[in-house]
Amino acid sequence: MSTLEVRNLTRTFGDLRAVDGVSFAARDGLLTGFVGSNGAGKTSTMRMMMGVLAITSGEVLFDGAPVTRADRRTFGYMPEERGLYPKQPALDQLVYLARLRGIPAAQARTEAMEHLERLGLGERAKDHVEKLSLGNQQRVQITAALMGRPRALILDEPFSGLDPSAVDDMVDLLREHTARGVPVLFSSHQLDLVERLCERLVILRGGRVVADGTPADLQSTGTVRHRLVLGGDAGWVRGVPGVHAVDVDGTTALVELVDDAAAQRLLASALERGTVHELSPVRPSLAQIYREVTS
Amino acid sequence: MTAPTQDPTRTTPAPQPPDDGARGAWRLVMQREIVTKAMNKAFVIGLLVSLGVIAALAAFFTWQGNRVDTSTVAVSGGDTAAVAAVTSAADLAQAEGGNDEIEVLEVGDDAAARAALEDGEADAWLHPDGEGGWVLSGQGEPDGTLTRFVGTAVEQRTVAANAEAAGTSVAELSAGAELSTEALDADAMGEQAMFFATFALSFLFFAGALTSGNMIASSVVEEKQSRLVEIIATAVPLRQLLAGKILGSSVIAIGQNLLFAGVGLIAVAASPISIALPALSTSLIWFVVFFAIGFLALAALYAVAGALASRAEDLQYTSTPMTFLVMGVYFLTFTASGTFLTVLSYVPIANVVAMPARVLSGDAMWWEPVVSLLILSVFAVIALLVSERAFRGSLLQTGGRISWRQALRSPS
Repeated sequence: MSTLEVRNLTRTFGDLRAVDGVSFAARDGLLTGFVGSNGAGKTSTMRMMMGVLAITSGEVLFDGAPVTRADRRTFGYMPEERGLYPKQPALDQLVYLARLRGIPAAQARTEAMEHLERLGLGERAKDHVEKLSLGNQQRVQITAALMGRPRALILDEPFSGLDPSAVDDMVDLLREHTARGVPVLFSSHQLDLVERLCERLVILRGGRVVADGTPADLQSTGTVRHRLVLGGDAGWVRGVPGVHAVDVDGTTALVELVDDAAAQRLLASALERGTVHELSPVRPSLAQIYREVTS
Repeated sequence: MTAPTQDPTRTTPAPQPPDDGARGAWRLVMQREIVTKAMNKAFVIGLLVSLGVIAALAAFFTWQGNRVDTSTVAVSGGDTAAVAAVTSAADLAQAEGGNDEIEVLEVGDDAAARAALEDGEADAWLHPDGEGGWVLSGQGEPDGTLTRFVGTAVEQRTVAANAEAAGTSVAELSAGAELSTEALDADAMGEQAMFFATFALSFLFFAGALTSGNMIASSVVEEKQSRLVEIIATAVPLRQLLAGKILGSSVIAIGQNLLFAGVGLIAVAASPISIALPALSTSLIWFVVFFAIGFLALAALYAVAGALASRAEDLQYTSTPMTFLVMGVYFLTFTASGTFLTVLSYVPIANVVAMPARVLSGDAMWWEPVVSLLILSVFAVIALLVSERAFRGSLLQTGGRISWRQALRSPS
């Protein structure tokens, strides 16, 4: 079982604690989404995990042991703000980057060609990268990380700028890696995408982890609201003790309840006044949870 | 690692064991640097143009050197004194061993001589001026070299005639007035040839160091700017990356200089100064050895210039000290002489040009280049060590230009 874990990871730049005691694990076979606003510390954390940025304190573990240089050689990594050699053919640079990681030349060539063909770039393998569209360049960059059956994947904003069908292609590729037991950690700004794809979610704010769990876990820990639908006007709910009316619109009210007693009081009052059509919990969306934990 | 699941889309075998194959990574990096450069159209065209210019210059000088310049001097029929004077001038020209030949053209009378000048059959016309002297007429002003030979011949003949009339001889009159020259070192080159040879060495250094130095700096910043360096850094130690880049650009720089020097030597071998070939070859061999060691240091420093930059536009700032160093060596070495040149021949980097130049002029003792090379080697080792640290300290830092001080202090 391969698990990539960070414990109390901290990085300071002068007085700024960019990453402040971050701990979480990206488990094998799971797509773990890494979310947070700009400057939350995602990129710094990922760079420390890959050994590209010096760690101020804390540690990175792979399979329970401190990660080594040899381990990292087998990880696939896609940095932020990336590029490729503009004047070199796509195939050549995929082979070069793979060979640097110790993959034999013949194998690297076969595998690069397979990937390019699969992405519909087989005929452009010998074109200079600068002649490919930005979307295609990005596919080549992701491919560079996926070469040689990596034992873990760390991808910084892999999907930014890709159209939805390209995202689906890439996700299919990533799923093949999680299917063989590889932990995949990727950062993203696109919450809907993260909600749809991830089995696990880590939310960072100001260099700290503010939420960590499955999307379902996070939704249950978020503030649960209730919807009340009545036969008559719902304006009176504003006056009920222990009930916070978030929104009242005609016969419908969206409320937050401080405890179960408040729920009972609300229901009793409602029944006293007339018909009750509905009183049900409303699961918060991930975007709502994100706003709650990062605000 | 879990047991690999069957995956029909993958034909690749089991994952790579975490071998330590990163040790040989410098070879891959070096190979890529060389291939990329050799495939670069601008580089190849520049190289071919330079070789073409060297070959063309050599061909021109060789042609210039071997060209025989024949001048025809017209003489009116029956003027035996004039014929004798021109024949003496022809002998003088031949004795000097240059490329000038003089021929006599006897014509009927003065009118025919003028006609010969006009239609270009003759280059000059020698005739008496009627007052006991001589006139050399040309369509325009007669050629200087021809005038010198004819003038000397006329003068010698007149002096001999006058001496005889006075009852003595030219030999008696000029006894003890001869000055002969002797070259103690048959290999030593003339002053002018030395200047050109030193200039050529300075220029080889300048062109090789500047182009290949900038090549390594821009190759480093290209990877840094595109963040490819982060992928490379997770795959191989930065030391391997630096070594591969230094060796790759050195191979290009030295190969380019060997090509230039080879074409230059072939040109010299075919030219009238081929006598200087052994001295030039010795000096060039020293130059190549000095350049190889010196360029290792320069390439390492240029690599740091690349690592200190964040974008290609920063390079002109971060590589300024290097540009000054290379330009300084270039100007100092081809203008220096005497004691200053001797001092420069021991100062690292400047000695790459100055010591081979002294070997060429023949004033360096056999041990001097050896000692100078040792000093250069020590300098190169120090430069490599310091650069390696600065390279590691700056390559992965992003955001703006980095100073040498920050780079050397950085923990990563």
